[in-house]
Amino acid sequence: MERKKIELPADVKKVESVGEEAEFPFDISPMYEGERIRKNEMYVELGGTEQPGFELVLALPEEEVEDMKVTIVGPDLEEMEEGKAYPYAMIYYVAGSQVETDLEPVIERRNHDFQNYLEGYMHLNQRYDIWIRLGKGAIKKGLKSLVQIAKATMMLFKNELPFIEKIETLYITEATMVEKLLNEVAMPIYDERDARVEALHDEDVDEFYSCTLCQSFAPTNVCVVSPDRPSLCGAISWFDGRAAARVDPEGPNRAIPKGDLIDEIGGEYTGVDEFAKEESGGEYERIKLHSFFEYPHTSCGCFEVIGFYMPEVDGIGWVHRGYPEPAPNGLPFSTMAGQTGGGKQIIGFLGIGISYFRSKKFIQADGGWYRVVWMPKDLKDRVSKYIPDDVRDKIATEEDAKTIDELKEFLKKVDHPVVTGVVRPVDGKKITEGWVEEEEEVVEEEVVEEAAPAAQVQPVQQFPVPTQQMQFPLQLPQLQLPQQPAAGGGVRLVIKDAKIYVDKIVIKKPEEKKKGGK
Amino acid sequence: MVVIAVTGKGGTGKTVISALLIHFLSRRYNLLAVDADPDSNLPEALGVKPRRTLGEVREVFQVSRDEMGTMNKEQWLEGKIYAEAITEADNFDLLVMGRPEGEGCYCFANSLLRGILRKLMRHYDVIVIDTEAGLEHFSRGTISGADYIIVVTDMSRKGLSTAKRIKELSSELNLNFKRIFLVGNRIMNGMGEDIIKKFSDEEGIELLDLLPYNEDILQLDIKGEPIVLIGENSDYAERVKKIATKLVGDGNGKNEH
Repeated sequence: MERKKIELPADVKKVESVGEEAEFPFDISPMYEGERIRKNEMYVELGGTEQPGFELVLALPEEEVEDMKVTIVGPDLEEMEEGKAYPYAMIYYVAGSQVETDLEPVIERRNHDFQNYLEGYMHLNQRYDIWIRLGKGAIKKGLKSLVQIAKATMMLFKNELPFIEKIETLYITEATMVEKLLNEVAMPIYDERDARVEALHDEDVDEFYSCTLCQSFAPTNVCVVSPDRPSLCGAISWFDGRAAARVDPEGPNRAIPKGDLIDEIGGEYTGVDEFAKEESGGEYERIKLHSFFEYPHTSCGCFEVIGFYMPEVDGIGWVHRGYPEPAPNGLPFSTMAGQTGGGKQIIGFLGIGISYFRSKKFIQADGGWYRVVWMPKDLKDRVSKYIPDDVRDKIATEEDAKTIDELKEFLKKVDHPVVTGVVRPVDGKKITEGWVEEEEEVVEEEVVEEAAPAAQVQPVQQFPVPTQQMQFPLQLPQLQLPQQPAAGGGVRLVIKDAKIYVDKIVIKKPEEKKKGGK
Repeated sequence: MVVIAVTGKGGTGKTVISALLIHFLSRRYNLLAVDADPDSNLPEALGVKPRRTLGEVREVFQVSRDEMGTMNKEQWLEGKIYAEAITEADNFDLLVMGRPEGEGCYCFANSLLRGILRKLMRHYDVIVIDTEAGLEHFSRGTISGADYIIVVTDMSRKGLSTAKRIKELSSELNLNFKRIFLVGNRIMNGMGEDIIKKFSDEEGIELLDLLPYNEDILQLDIKGEPIVLIGENSDYAERVKKIATKLVGDGNGKNEH
């Protein structure tokens, strides 16, 4: 949408004032932040639940902005009736050599901070939700006009954000105009901004943000939040990370300079690797943001959804916290979460936030949605619109399959890409071979053996036991293997530098010799 | 700002004492009442009908956060708390913490909450918190600390052992409190008085008062009427008023403590 000044009707009644104010009848300090003006202490309310209101920053060419000018349209404070609520639009025109449209929301957000520095002025919410209360005390101390509020706010904008070279304000308290501008100007701009978020990708920014809020539970976990990868808990987007890092650069959300791109498809950057190494105390050295199998992101314990690889179908299933039943691999969310959490890289499992399903780069290195074979119906319904049309119906839910065998049958029936081999959309490369016929299984196994030179040390893999042998899961806990991991029914296998195609694992009593394969 | 946390075993009457402290102190001070006990009924005792609890607002946040686009989540949450979780009574504001969180990760929501509550709370002269004995909101840091901790106990062994645990817990939690006090409540005989006095001496917790069992309070409680109706000049109310004055002062900036 084109950015231009609001055209005011020629006959509109308005107050204008240009230049800096020498003195204000109120204190200005961050200590007033958070002050709640109670109803019986309030002079008037602006916006809020009873009246329309919005705030908007528009970036304009320098010559169009008249610096430190205020225009008030509609009743000013002195003409307002005590105890009443009025409509309120706050529009700021800003200019500067570095001021671009992209900065509008960043600047706009600060209106909240700066106006809360004003004694006796409470500003809450944002965009079309703003709610302001002016205290009676402020009026007693000499506050007469919104001009004073605007001048103080503009002063703070210029002091705190020096890249703003010129700023001009238009406040409107007249209902029809506020509503008209809200619908015709402000809303389309807010929508435009949100649309830009969808279009913002890892390659468009220079910094990602870390989140270490969970380190009390998972000391080596470092969440890396990028435009294409929200936090595992689902709470923090790249924008939240940026907002938090600006407020507290040394806090739990810190900027991670991206550095150089190492792997475009997997999403690996030198800056992220360095940061991960440092923050995990050397626990791991590489992270690929959009990879499931290779140097996957660590999983804290807070993740909303866990992904699990099922070798029998060479596909990935996802299960969310709220699904209590075992997934087709025989394990419920809680068991898998117990094995995966704690800030480790566990190949074969990946914790994510539900909003990562929206990402255009969703496990793109491993085929994205085309590698996904199963998810609970609840979860699938929630993210359905982000699943590509040509694979949506091919992803099974518990209504289609509850066991591996049922899943196999279903995938075959719908001709899921994993059956014949997955071609990853990002570069058109065929990344899986598809299912091998029964007779060829032995050959496949040998390939695995050969591909295990064990030269490089890879992270330990925790492998869920009930793979093919779904009929025996209850026998497993009786094994009492030494050093068994905490999660029930798990067996620890250490497999080095190998791609795993295990068709069957047979486990017998400890006194007998254990055999792998069939 | 003076923060008073009133705690003790359930059923000892801590909510009655909290309500009366709030009632008296809110006449002279800008006061925030906090109900931090999911099992208590502080709003009823005060005769205030609360709006949403903070826990409910947090749940709304958890389910709406994916749809917030580029909106600032802290500002969103703050707006909801100010508008919906804080109830304005005639003389004070009331914040009900509500139930603890459900499943899922609340690290981010709680981290935002801590910041918002800290900014909110510093603007009140007095904050009275009715809190359960586990001091959960303190251990989680949603409430950052207290100046005075009042442990309410009745004559029961359980009341006293809870009091002892609270004392230990409050030291462990690093609440930075100035003093911890004991108030005996529902004391029906001299033996009860002796037991509590002895406990106070042994544990080194200063005893503020031994409040009697009060039939009027019981009647109000049964009828579900506000405790503050027991009458200004009743002996019980007068004695709680004294406690209030001792902790905060007389309203002219003088603190007798």
